[in-house]
Amino acid sequence: MDALSLVPAADAIPAPWWLFEALLITALSAHFILINIVVGGSILAIGSRIASKRPRTVTFEVPGITSALALGINFGVAPLLFAQVLYGHLLYTSSILMAVWWILVIPVLIIAYYGAYVHTGGGGETLRAAALAVSVIALVYIAFIFVNNMTLMLHPRSWTAYFENRSGTILNLSDPTLIPRYIHFMVASVAVAGLYGALRAHRSGQAESGSAVRKGLRIFAFATIIQIAGGLWFLLSLPAETMRLFLGGNSLYTLVLALGVILTVASISFALRGRVIPATASLAAIVVLMVINRANLRSAFLGEFFRPADLRLEPQYGVMALFLLAVVGMACAVRRMIAMLPVSGEGRDGR
Amino acid sequence: MNYPAWETGFFSGGSLIALISVLHVYIAHFAVGGGMFIWLTDRKALLEGCAALDDYLREHNWFFLLLTMVFGGVSGVGIWFIIGLVSPAATSSLIHTFVFAWGVEWTFFLGEIIALLIYHYYFDTMKRHLRLKVAFLYFVFAWMSLLVVNGILSYMLTPGAWPESRAFWDGFLNPGFIPSTVFRSFVAFMFAGLFGFVTAVRMEEGEFRTRMMRYCTKWLLYPMTGLVLSGAWYLYAVPGEIRYTAFIINPEMDPYVRTVVIASILIFAGGLALSLRSGRAAQKAITAVLVLIGLSWMGGFEYVREISRKPYIIGGYMYSTSILVQDEERLNREGVLPNARWAKVRALTPDNIMEAGRELYRIQCYPCHTAGGVRNDIIPRTRSFTYLGMLSQLTGQGTVKPYMPRFVGTRAEKEALAAYIVSGLNGGALDARPEPTAVRPLADAAPPPFDPKNDDYVLLAWNDLGMHCVSDGDPWFVILPPANTLEALLIKRGSTPEVVTENVTISYAVEPGFERPSRHTRFWEFAGATFGKKPAPDTGLTGKGLAGDFTHNAETMSFVADGIPVLPYTDAGTFNPYPLFTVKAKDPSSGKVLATTRTVAPVSTEMGCRNCHGGPWRWKNISGIADDTARDILRKHDRARGTDLLARAEKGKPRLCQTCHADPALKAPGDGKRLSLSASVHGLHANYIPVKGADACGLCHPTHRTGATRCARGVHSSAGITCVNCHGGMGDHAISLLRAEEGKRSAASLTKHLRPEAVRAKTDIKPRKPWINEPDCLTCHVDFNKPAADPSAFNVWTAEAAELYRNRTDNTGSLRCVACHNSPHAEYPARNPYNARRDNIQPLQYGKMPYTIGANRSCEVCHREKKEDEVHHENMLRMVRRAVRQ
Repeated sequence: MDALSLVPAADAIPAPWWLFEALLITALSAHFILINIVVGGSILAIGSRIASKRPRTVTFEVPGITSALALGINFGVAPLLFAQVLYGHLLYTSSILMAVWWILVIPVLIIAYYGAYVHTGGGGETLRAAALAVSVIALVYIAFIFVNNMTLMLHPRSWTAYFENRSGTILNLSDPTLIPRYIHFMVASVAVAGLYGALRAHRSGQAESGSAVRKGLRIFAFATIIQIAGGLWFLLSLPAETMRLFLGGNSLYTLVLALGVILTVASISFALRGRVIPATASLAAIVVLMVINRANLRSAFLGEFFRPADLRLEPQYGVMALFLLAVVGMACAVRRMIAMLPVSGEGRDGR
Repeated sequence: MNYPAWETGFFSGGSLIALISVLHVYIAHFAVGGGMFIWLTDRKALLEGCAALDDYLREHNWFFLLLTMVFGGVSGVGIWFIIGLVSPAATSSLIHTFVFAWGVEWTFFLGEIIALLIYHYYFDTMKRHLRLKVAFLYFVFAWMSLLVVNGILSYMLTPGAWPESRAFWDGFLNPGFIPSTVFRSFVAFMFAGLFGFVTAVRMEEGEFRTRMMRYCTKWLLYPMTGLVLSGAWYLYAVPGEIRYTAFIINPEMDPYVRTVVIASILIFAGGLALSLRSGRAAQKAITAVLVLIGLSWMGGFEYVREISRKPYIIGGYMYSTSILVQDEERLNREGVLPNARWAKVRALTPDNIMEAGRELYRIQCYPCHTAGGVRNDIIPRTRSFTYLGMLSQLTGQGTVKPYMPRFVGTRAEKEALAAYIVSGLNGGALDARPEPTAVRPLADAAPPPFDPKNDDYVLLAWNDLGMHCVSDGDPWFVILPPANTLEALLIKRGSTPEVVTENVTISYAVEPGFERPSRHTRFWEFAGATFGKKPAPDTGLTGKGLAGDFTHNAETMSFVADGIPVLPYTDAGTFNPYPLFTVKAKDPSSGKVLATTRTVAPVSTEMGCRNCHGGPWRWKNISGIADDTARDILRKHDRARGTDLLARAEKGKPRLCQTCHADPALKAPGDGKRLSLSASVHGLHANYIPVKGADACGLCHPTHRTGATRCARGVHSSAGITCVNCHGGMGDHAISLLRAEEGKRSAASLTKHLRPEAVRAKTDIKPRKPWINEPDCLTCHVDFNKPAADPSAFNVWTAEAAELYRNRTDNTGSLRCVACHNSPHAEYPARNPYNARRDNIQPLQYGKMPYTIGANRSCEVCHREKKEDEVHHENMLRMVRRAVRQ
């Protein structure tokens, strides 16, 4: 069977493809940062409970984790929307193949979310620790399923498994890039959460924050060093011809990867030297570059059978303008709302 | 076809969508209304300076955030997930058409989250007036979210001009958009009150709690008027045709409408109950129940909306099967399988029929049905079908009952799907229907003697219709009772013969073996229920038995004996649909027999309902309507028309179909609302029967050339003329009847998908009443001549009953045509399938030839001499061209 014949026909798009790609990358970057704070922060919080020498001493806690999750989910909706516009015909297919795992993400996410609320609530330490553990397991599951789906969608040759299993329980475990990719994302979340903790402590301006800042920077630096190794593993797990594109074969791909790596090294240096703001700035740039890198990898895999540029255009420029206006309008509204906050900036429950 | 199908097994994909969506929508409406609730309650707290209200708000906000932001928000994403899994093609269409609308909605979602987080976490530290502003902004963003989502949701049901224009604004600003948005806004305010109880009931006992409960009751009940009015507006914004299909034709709808109505009443009552002063425990219990009732209200309403949209997932554009309306014609030509990317079988061959059927099932049935699962289980719905029945169902699907999509694909693909459902899913056999039945020949029936020199009388006798059908399924329903009609004419021979009308008794008696029909049928047991009469066993509804006297009828110019309850079942256990009756004319004063003859009273119970509806033959595997068959018929009638015929029959009270359906054959006026029986039965089945020509007629009527009766046995059938030549094909036949019922409720829906065969347009078919406006012999036999080749009498009808062949007289006005030519469908020379000569007894008796009485210029039969004038009708003095082998 010719697997490529299984690729469904795609629908027309209402604006140029590069607009959606740009929106996708922007929104996904925001999503990753927010979710990394939540996932990495939860992992660190539970890790610190396990590693702590004195029982019941919490050495690392991410502030505002529930609000970060709320916004992270919101910023997950946007890239999911744009991904469906450009790659929907692939994404729906892979989702269906793993339907049971995919739909379980929803109740599992609700569990993770409520777990986070129980964890930050007023219960006893055992309950809060248990809720955190449940949340971590749930989030780790969700990330794994997402990585499966996002890779399965790019490999129609794996879709023939459907003819042996139509119950929606297929996973992309035979893909050699799956595990390195997953680990790369999970370690990234720890790095981001560590730096976020450092940043929050730094901006709180409190006297005792110094050690928290240092701790956060150390976690960030250490995790990022592991990331370089993990990234290398990820790169090496790619098929040879794809890997070559990132090592000189394609100038854009290589440039983006190289910039990302250079900034990564720089960010480690900043972190080890206690320079929070430069570390944060470079991390933000790294995330964006890595999301572009990820998009390039997607293009490399899709190259042989699909390019978004080939999608038929049925323009809706008027509505597009309305949408962009709404984005700007809401940004202003959000700024106005934040401006209404009391000057001390400290709300209930340390949001 | 474009996408793979996720096999969900026990739960249908639709049920999963429903589960996630109803929960989300319930909470989401609360989120919108709750926004206004929080804002106004906060304002109230400020204006009244009420600290207790502040405390209430603090608790309510927590509850609100935990429920709407966590569960409400994520379940909304859940809807996206599940619709992409269950209906990817439709989801893709929605996304690609409305991505910028979704994008706008996303900005409101973001604004909602930030506003709610700010409002909740800075509740005590923010400046009061700013806090109110944030609350108000939350509500605005939430309501705008609803507005945008509803634009897209409403377009699916009422797409307006979008299917033609494909313009974004045509889709978004669709006819149902504003009314449904207003309706949902009222729902949102009501739910704000309903959920408000949840936190109000937790307040400490006392005056404040009572005040809060009453406050929430106002929120729950005040919007109800707006709800009802906007609900009506919403309902009538939906096009009439959609409403008719959804609420009148679709049997699925009723329970959900009932749910909404009952839940509304209970919510109203619950709200009132909670406004009364009572203990916290009782109020907590009522609140909990109310929350569940609210969920069922929401579920009921959303199901009503979803069901209304069938057969489409996107109205006028995409069917629930993900097949596009614009592709239907092409797929019918090319086939679905060659175009189905994810089908294992792409080309249908004789070896892969079941596999192909399975793939077609996955594409066209699976989107709505489970096989042995919850909801819409296809097994009980198809278990009773024969293979032909299943094929019929697929042929007629989506026509008379438009809430299902039509079957799409080639004829071969339809057969494969039918085979899969009957055999693969139900384990049934794929027998041919009708099953050929052997006819056991009967011995010759010798005609009574006739002495042309000395006999003074010629006695002619005949059956009026050529066949009397009896629906032998009496415990369940009656279409036609045992009621045969014989007529007789006594002619005194002479140069100018005389038709004898008085001073004579003409009697009839059935041949032995047929005298006790009550032994073979349950008609008499149920005649009270079906006809409101209780004739003695073996006596007909007119009081006539299997032997008796004729009565003279001046109008018909004949002696008539009607309502003779003869049946084709002999005491010996054989099937004989052509029982012979001996007819004797006697002088009443002397008792002398003036003339004797014999005639067939054709009767059959071979109503072929079981060919599609399944079940065996009732009587000795030969004929009659079996219990299973009858139950299936009534079940389907009840389901399609909202009747309770099956339940009544099971209680021992079967009905006569003509109680509701007018029928000139039984002189039944019907109930004035429904179509005539003939228009109903033909109109409905013409949409379904997948067979053309006379074989279609033979599926139900006892005319099938391989059946037990084969009643089309006259000279016409020997000449190769079939039912279709005179009556038209099934579709044309149905159209002619339905055209006479224009204006009645179901006439339009039955006619809509029928296509004319013999004429160009449906409006070219002349309307006709059954049994009254029938084909006219003279259409083909112009001036009583031989017709042209391939004759058709279709579409030229007798104007009234007197013009019917069986009622007409010759040019003298005293001789009925049928007396000499015999009954319709058995015209001389007939060829009876049980014995070639059985229907020709009188011609053989009087003329020694099987032809028309007096044929080949044998005028002496009645006149005692040859005649030169064509007194009876033009062109009668011809030699018979068609010699029939006897």
